[in-house]
Amino acid sequence: MKMLPLVALSVLLSLTPAFAVWPLPKQFTTGSTPLRLASGFSIKLSGIQNAPKDLTDAVTRTKGFLSKDKLQALVPDRGASSAATIKSAKTLKSLTLSLTSGSKVRSISDESIVDVESRSEGYTLTIPADGSDAVLKANSTLGLFRGLTTFGQLWYDWAGTTYTLQAPFSIVDAPAYPYRGFMLDTARNFFPVEDIKRTLDAMSWVKINTLHWHVVDSQSFPLVVPGFTELSTQGAYSSASVYSPSDVKEIVQYAAARGIDVMAEIDTPGHTSIIHKSHPEHVACFEASPWSQFANATTNFTASLLSAASSMFPSKLFSTGGDELNTNCYDKDAETQTELNEQGKTLEQALDTFTQASHAALKKAGKRAVVWQEMVLDHQVTLANDTVILVWISSADAASVAARGFKFIHAASDYFYLDCGGGGWVGANVLGNSWCDPFKTWQKSYSFNPTANLTAEQSKLVLGGQHLLWTEQSSPSNLDPVVWPRAASSAELFWSGPGGDVSKALPRLHDIAYRFIERGVNAIPLQPQWCALRAGACDLTA
Amino acid sequence: MNLKNILILAVALTHPPSTFALWPIPRSLQTGTSFVKLASNFDIENQVTNAPADLLDAIQRTKTLLATDKLQRLAVGRGLNDSTAVGKAQSLSRLTISLLPGHTVARSIAQEAVQPIGQRSEGYSLSVPSTGAAATLTANSTLGLFRGLTTFGQLWYDLGGTTYSFQAPVVITNDSPAYPYRGLMLDTARNFFTVSDIKRTLDAMSWVKMSMFHWHVTDSQSFPLEIPNFPEISSKGAYSTQQVYSSADVQDIVSYAGARGIDVLVEIDTPGHSGSISASHPEHIACPQSDPWSDFAGEPPSGQLRLASQATTNFTANFISAIAKTLPSKLFSTGGDEINTNCYAHDASTQADLKSSGRTLEQALNVFTQATHKALLDIGKTPVVWEEMALEHQVSLSNETIVMVWISSQNAAAVAKKNLRIVHGPSDYFYLDCGAGEWLGNDPTGNSWCDPFKTWQKAYTFDPLANITAQQAPLVLGGQQLLWTEQSSPENLDSIVWPRAASSAEVFWTGAVLPDGTARNVGSALPRLHDIRYRMVKRGVRAIALQPEWCAIRPNVCNA
Repeated sequence: MKMLPLVALSVLLSLTPAFAVWPLPKQFTTGSTPLRLASGFSIKLSGIQNAPKDLTDAVTRTKGFLSKDKLQALVPDRGASSAATIKSAKTLKSLTLSLTSGSKVRSISDESIVDVESRSEGYTLTIPADGSDAVLKANSTLGLFRGLTTFGQLWYDWAGTTYTLQAPFSIVDAPAYPYRGFMLDTARNFFPVEDIKRTLDAMSWVKINTLHWHVVDSQSFPLVVPGFTELSTQGAYSSASVYSPSDVKEIVQYAAARGIDVMAEIDTPGHTSIIHKSHPEHVACFEASPWSQFANATTNFTASLLSAASSMFPSKLFSTGGDELNTNCYDKDAETQTELNEQGKTLEQALDTFTQASHAALKKAGKRAVVWQEMVLDHQVTLANDTVILVWISSADAASVAARGFKFIHAASDYFYLDCGGGGWVGANVLGNSWCDPFKTWQKSYSFNPTANLTAEQSKLVLGGQHLLWTEQSSPSNLDPVVWPRAASSAELFWSGPGGDVSKALPRLHDIAYRFIERGVNAIPLQPQWCALRAGACDLTA
Repeated sequence: MNLKNILILAVALTHPPSTFALWPIPRSLQTGTSFVKLASNFDIENQVTNAPADLLDAIQRTKTLLATDKLQRLAVGRGLNDSTAVGKAQSLSRLTISLLPGHTVARSIAQEAVQPIGQRSEGYSLSVPSTGAAATLTANSTLGLFRGLTTFGQLWYDLGGTTYSFQAPVVITNDSPAYPYRGLMLDTARNFFTVSDIKRTLDAMSWVKMSMFHWHVTDSQSFPLEIPNFPEISSKGAYSTQQVYSSADVQDIVSYAGARGIDVLVEIDTPGHSGSISASHPEHIACPQSDPWSDFAGEPPSGQLRLASQATTNFTANFISAIAKTLPSKLFSTGGDEINTNCYAHDASTQADLKSSGRTLEQALNVFTQATHKALLDIGKTPVVWEEMALEHQVSLSNETIVMVWISSQNAAAVAKKNLRIVHGPSDYFYLDCGAGEWLGNDPTGNSWCDPFKTWQKAYTFDPLANITAQQAPLVLGGQQLLWTEQSSPENLDSIVWPRAASSAEVFWTGAVLPDGTARNVGSALPRLHDIRYRMVKRGVRAIALQPEWCAIRPNVCNA
């Protein structure tokens, strides 16, 4: 028996639960005074003229969590030995929300879709130990919403009393990076609106602010685009497996009310073969290897489609994809070759024309284009300066994107792909494993360094990052377990900043996972419950 | 695209799937190309005299599934192309079920399910004509009838409210399993699972004709099993008072399983994996929660029964007997894996016991094991142990002992050489928890010890008789996939287990050969596995997608 672990263990096994806010605030102090919520605890708005409905709804939801979470402290006796302390604790009667003077009152929804670099998400939260009112302040309703989210994570239940043992709290918080996302692919397998809404709720609980919705792909086209309804009618898995314009509106509004911007993606020119079902004239090598072609008619069609699709989403960001173009597809496609000959263009030149046309259409619609990394690293395509690049192939490629001067989002398969490690999904391949083995643990993603190999100047190009779920092997059956709590890992990384210690993070991550379950999201256990109740006891080195 | 792929594609697109989506596929199966639909007044007519209640319940459940599955055919169009044929199809109004002559005394399914392993009667014959004439199901036992009902329930698809089949007539003659033990192991000690989670799992197991639920109910992390006369072990060793299987819960689970043709093999792992007993009986546990855990156990926390102590031996034999005698199964597992000798080396009490008895640790283990096994044998139970008991320790095991191979599939042959019966549960094929990353804390780059993830395809290719002689072959009882739950809970139980665990269910029911005489293979299995997966989802079990739906409705098009 070693002396050091023994000392550490005795501290860790104390009956005080962790300060389990996830993501960890930028600055905070906590005390050791017990405090419980008064039976008539209220959340008040002060000086907020014409309070937007999504703010009052957020207050109502927060009160719902405070009364329904019923999460017991993650300690061996679940709080039993604190019963007397809790019973005699002072009571907190109210939390008061206010905007800093001079702040304009806009809805959370409006604040959530302003330019990604300009969002105001910071807040200050003070909870005195003596029972006097708690105070939450921010420059925007979005900041107040983030503060409410934090407030909702401070409390535990013991025998019907909602309490903390760590008052007073003083928190000053704001995100390190403006883009903290999660990507969901709804084309390989379909997810009903309800699954997406539940996911948006969970995202908001860890302050994720962007849903990157990879809505269509070669396998299916579930998005009903006004003016292009034949795409989904013929390209969706069934008439029930579509997102109607009203579904999209519902999702977008639900997201925005929770501080989440919905960045939709129509992947082009690859990953589009399902368009062949309705428009065979626009797709090359259908069901041989799925890619679309570059005829002028196709370029116009695509630009119009993107324009129509992007108008369904209020977000400033819209992704045209651009990953994994298969040149062999075009080499073998007679129509593409004829078209290239007539225009006197190389394939790369045609791609440039195609991309510029589709991006011009987006710009006209007031959108900022987002593309996968190949568009800047592998192709000779002219991109507008404000184009946002998604780095996915390897985290090592971020530096190359930075060298080109584009802003970018970390979405590296070697850290953030949630589908890796589930075995090969291609049939008749007995010993096949997933192409991006191994499984990316929360610990792996947590240890990601967003500014690795970047100069100080280049580091400013990092907008943030996200976990991603490609759904070849996922469906509503395993959406929650595949995503949660792992995706919370990047949420903290990009909110609190890098350099966090996995050993210190684990007890808090257990806490948020157990809280997710209380709230109806099927987050998986990271360890046996024995370990979750004993911080540090199941570390490799314990 | 290379030539081979083009050929496969061409074949796949021009020929409809040639067999029904039955899982496990029957060992004898003839199908036609006619459509038949269930009449609106379709009924299952029981002709078994004095039919036991669990058979009547099974008939009722089958009728409910026929009405509620609403599974559309996994084909492009989801069955729309069948509209005309379905419209013209004959209507089936009746399935009659009866026992064969000479088997008129109907024992319940539950009684048949707990017969000694190797003596169970699970075979059945089923005929579904295309003419609309009554379908017939016959068997030698109610358990066989239950297996046949399970098959019947997988023949049907929904098209606009009509329940139809497209490969009538169907003739299955004496479909019976290649191996009697077809199981699933669930660990309820690392994380707790509610009774309803277990029942849902038992339902899914029965749909793929599994016969054994191996319940690894306790471990060092928690002891959720209430034992008659020893209530303190669970009241102090469970995660909470709500996270306990009461005696009533256990009976509920056992009878639910029995009614679905499943025998419940309970395991109380000894002398290792027992640290949770220290909460109630510190006097019986060596090295409880010792630090650093890695010196004393395979994973935290440590703690093992003091095997050299007479008092501890008696205590263990007594509580094993106390729980085993309440269970209908003839089988009971005393575990015996991963005994940590360093734990005992550092336990003064064990060292004193060894010294006073003049025994080595191995000799003491032999005495301990013989005592616990005698307690089982005395009440008519057959002991089951993990492979170390047969291969690594000098323990005298009775001839009927069943040995579970887990460390490596390579070890089965060594067990066979000892002439002991074998259940295959090798980590390199059947561990469902592998590949999900390290669960120990503070290990950012760690992966699971048994990487990679064991795909359904890998499990499907398992050969139960590899390196086993023809003479030894009867020792192989079957096998199972296993879920250790360090990273599992009710939240991901279904999605980790299904449909992967169906893989071994077919390996051990169907055996090496398909009904057409060809070798069983992953290529022809995948469309059927998609089918049972989609059917499970319809029935409320959250089985995961194996591929994009695009692939699921186009058999073989997404092959390598």
